[in-house]
Amino acid sequence: MNLFSLQWKETFRAPQWEAKMSIKVIMVLVTLYFLGAFVFGASMTYPILNKKILDREAVEVFNGIILYIFFFELILRFFLQQLPVTNIQTLILLPFKKRRIINNVLFRSVFSGFNTTPLIIYLPFAISMYRDDYLGTQVVAWWMALLLTTLCLNFLIYIINKNNLYFVLLLAVVAATVALYLYTEFDLGHMTGALFDAVVAQPQLVGFFIFPLVLSYALVFYFLKRGFYMDAGLAKTKTAVQTGDYSFLNFLGEDALILKNDLRMIIRNVRPRQVVLMSFLFLFYGLIFFTQDIYRKQDFVMVFAGLFVTGGFCLTFGNYVPAWDSSYYKLLMTQNISYKKYLLSKWNLMVFVTAISTLLSLPYLYFGWDVMGIIIAGSLFNMGLNTWTTLFGGLMNKTPMKLNVKAKAFENTQSFSLNQFLLIIPKMVLPVLLYWLPAKFMGPTAGYLSLAGAGMLGIVFKNQLADWVTVLYLKQKHETIEAFNK
Amino acid sequence: MIQLNSLSKKYEEAIVLNVDKLSIDKGEHFGLVGNNGAGKTTLFSLILDLIQASSGNVTINSIEVAKSEAWKKDVAAFVDDNFLIDYLTPEEYFEFIANLRKVDSAALNEFLQQFDAFFNGEILDQKKYLRDFSKGNQKKVGLAASFIGDPSIVILDEPFANLDPSSQIRLKSFLASEGNKDKTLLISSHDLNHVTDVCERIVLLEKGNVIKDTPKSPKTLKELEAYFSGQ
Repeated sequence: MNLFSLQWKETFRAPQWEAKMSIKVIMVLVTLYFLGAFVFGASMTYPILNKKILDREAVEVFNGIILYIFFFELILRFFLQQLPVTNIQTLILLPFKKRRIINNVLFRSVFSGFNTTPLIIYLPFAISMYRDDYLGTQVVAWWMALLLTTLCLNFLIYIINKNNLYFVLLLAVVAATVALYLYTEFDLGHMTGALFDAVVAQPQLVGFFIFPLVLSYALVFYFLKRGFYMDAGLAKTKTAVQTGDYSFLNFLGEDALILKNDLRMIIRNVRPRQVVLMSFLFLFYGLIFFTQDIYRKQDFVMVFAGLFVTGGFCLTFGNYVPAWDSSYYKLLMTQNISYKKYLLSKWNLMVFVTAISTLLSLPYLYFGWDVMGIIIAGSLFNMGLNTWTTLFGGLMNKTPMKLNVKAKAFENTQSFSLNQFLLIIPKMVLPVLLYWLPAKFMGPTAGYLSLAGAGMLGIVFKNQLADWVTVLYLKQKHETIEAFNK
Repeated sequence: MIQLNSLSKKYEEAIVLNVDKLSIDKGEHFGLVGNNGAGKTTLFSLILDLIQASSGNVTINSIEVAKSEAWKKDVAAFVDDNFLIDYLTPEEYFEFIANLRKVDSAALNEFLQQFDAFFNGEILDQKKYLRDFSKGNQKKVGLAASFIGDPSIVILDEPFANLDPSSQIRLKSFLASEGNKDKTLLISSHDLNHVTDVCERIVLLEKGNVIKDTPKSPKTLKELEAYFSGQ
């Protein structure tokens, strides 16, 4: 009971709840939207599969890809799921039995948002099955099998998370599975699917799915119990020092100083690494849109996609300037650094990564010059103007950043404000207009030039823009220091 | 050198600091004492322009700190953990500060040698990030770094807290030797012995007001002990 009430307080006294009412409403709406999208998508999957693939049952097709869903889920969990383990540290000396604390932690982890896949994806699918012509027992057994497996993954991730070696192992298994499927007769995905097919055929077989769950639970339990000392499993792992030599940056002179520090910050901390990884994924955004003829004809979709392909880093990193430096903001504020130099250094980093992204996106040329044109124009717009808009938006973001802790879902919504929402206009709507108006009257080339030209202006007038943002930063200096001090 | 003019800081209705006039001369060793909540950290934060004054102002070398940034080149401070960059090694942190203060790496190495005893072999070449050091060792890094580049004013909040006894004594003798170089030192401490050893002027704060401002004399320690024991 005691443990439960502690947990209750931790949940409801979390800073996220202190957010403004308007933001809570937006959060709830966004959550509902995504829930709805998933439920709708999942319920549509069954009829579509049923119609398109005539020679196999829809469930069989779904079961055939389930292994890849599990793989994807594990990788996603590895990067995003926060485990409640570290909370144990404060309880360790109090008179709770170890077993109880461990059981409590594991029990709590079941209620993670990552375990909602059975509800939002598998359940709608199961309901569609029932409405087709499957028996209730078949459907329930199939769904239970998936639920038990999801929970099994939930416990496995504890072990994978503690040691990067296990994660590498997981990636190796994924790669091997794909390679075997492509080059040999051996199809692990099909074999996993057969297990679930068997449950549909003989519902009582679902009983066997208890075993992997019990096994994974026991494994994690043993693992946590063994490490139940402050200096062993529970302590935050001390990372070996990466002593990169960044002296090659010295040619940049004084600018190199903050840049070097930023590179170290990104390489050595969990949170910024997450952001860089996400921005890398932005590069593939174009594959969704540029491959479809319907989208190719719609200017606004093309401009959005073009901006996103190269803008991942600029839009995500810039949004947390100066919050990245929140833990040593007082130092920066008393040292002999001018604010303008600080901002220009962040700007340089964003421009540099955007340029790299542009090079990496060259393969999009495969889809034609119109695609490449929009990507290059979008990239220039990102470099020249979106950098400054994002830096301006970052200033409003006054939540201190814990650099070496993974982000929780909605973690920074607290700092989300109406102003930041309005910034979508200069970031996204303005470039669409800049492209669309000239393109409509004078053809696409004029559109590319107008979009790229606006970006070039931002680069040419970077000093003036920096001065302007500096004034805003200085105005909010004390407010920012106070907020970061919390 | 440092001037406080009718300086006050209020949060809502509570007045946490109210100093009518206070000036600290060049080369002075200024010791600030007082119980928790007396306003010591508030006073230092106002001098460093980390918080905004409710009224009045602070000038350093006739530059108003809230209006210009030009004072920053003369001042170094170590107030709390927010002055450390926790993902750097101590060497990288020293290098960062040295670069900011235009000290080259040869001069930095020479500078760090005088801390050999103070560091006790636990700071340099440890292949650890600052976040993995103990509180005491983190403090040593921050204290040493605030003297890089020979700033003419150094502000230290509770420099002796968290240090082991040997380190406290070594720090004291280091601060005394720095005093001969015309450096202005502002130190706050709960440790009356240390602060009266290092400083030649003692200011006692109570609930934001200066209630005692005296040059150190052989009697000072006794008087302060009497005050804090409530006599």
